[in-house]
Amino acid sequence: MHIPDGIIDAPVILVGGYAVTGGLTWFCLDRINRRERDPQSKIPKAALLAATFFVVNAINIPVPPSSLHLVLNGMLGVVLGYYAFPAILVALFFEAIIFQHGGITTLGLNGMIMGFPALIAFYLFRWRSRFKLKEPLRTKVFAFLAGAGGVMIAAGIFTLTVILTITSDLDAQAERQATYVALALYGIPAVIEGIFTMMLASFLDRVKPGLLEGTLKVGEP
Amino acid sequence: MKSKYLLVLGTVSLIGLPGAVLAHGATVEYRQVQAIEIDATYSGGQPMGNAQVTVYAPNNPAKPWLTGMTDPQGRFSFTPDPAQPGNWEVKVRQAGHGDLVTVPVREEIALSPSKTKESASLSRWVARGDRDYASKTQQVLLGAAGVWGFFGTALFFARRKPE
Repeated sequence: MHIPDGIIDAPVILVGGYAVTGGLTWFCLDRINRRERDPQSKIPKAALLAATFFVVNAINIPVPPSSLHLVLNGMLGVVLGYYAFPAILVALFFEAIIFQHGGITTLGLNGMIMGFPALIAFYLFRWRSRFKLKEPLRTKVFAFLAGAGGVMIAAGIFTLTVILTITSDLDAQAERQATYVALALYGIPAVIEGIFTMMLASFLDRVKPGLLEGTLKVGEP
Repeated sequence: MKSKYLLVLGTVSLIGLPGAVLAHGATVEYRQVQAIEIDATYSGGQPMGNAQVTVYAPNNPAKPWLTGMTDPQGRFSFTPDPAQPGNWEVKVRQAGHGDLVTVPVREEIALSPSKTKESASLSRWVARGDRDYASKTQQVLLGAAGVWGFFGTALFFARRKPE
């Protein structure tokens, strides 16, 4: 899901990716500043989950024809809330410079691909309070949806980006087909991450609900 | 009885065969050239089979010089134009994953068409989803340093604040 350097020829797309990521970073930092009395207090949690994201992305699971890795962006959204976006961005930066996984020119684009769905997952998980369901079940269902949705939305944005940037020298149909196959294959990590997020959220909900970000208090932005 | 019939038929077809080939007047010659073989793998080690390959010549890096596809083992070979020494760029892409590798074609080899056994051998270039800038050990060390950086950040902000 990480777009490497040199694959996208259109500078407009790369600059656009940086613009979107820059805007989202500002939005998240602004929200953190408004919501938190002490914005630094949640940095340890964000740093630890950024490390998790960084490590998990480097572990490849062979799924023919290519290989996949877990993303965990949905899980980061559920646990970190607005902190998820900057955490993902920092982890992506380190992946690009240490493992050449992704790239510096595509950092903005990759931040948008993986960070934006984390925010959506956070909002989705927060919406659960509006549904009348029995409590342990409600958190589980919404955590699963957030975890799996994070991956699938990211895969969707990735697919859209790849298809929009097919250069004229490529066999467009073959590339499109390969991309759709890849999109379908993301269903596998989506289910795994959905289950993982569900287990983690229901555990935290029982043990220390304060650690879950997606608990909406009245009057919060 | 049956075997005799078959024998006659076989002889007839043998006589007929060379004539038919000659009638097409095809000539096949060969010469040895220096070829470049691309070996494309995903970072997990799986071959990038049926990935699209685009080759750019040094004199025109914007226009594709050759396009093709890797075989199921992720291999692709091509013969660069000997009149164009310099950096040939090969892009391998599949479903948005891939890499761009630069293959330097040296002038001396390019100018003297390969006759010796040595220069006729296949040059192999490795294209990976993730390029190997650093060795595995270096990467593991760098990764561990990165993870420790995150933990250090966490510990720094989690330290007990003076009352």
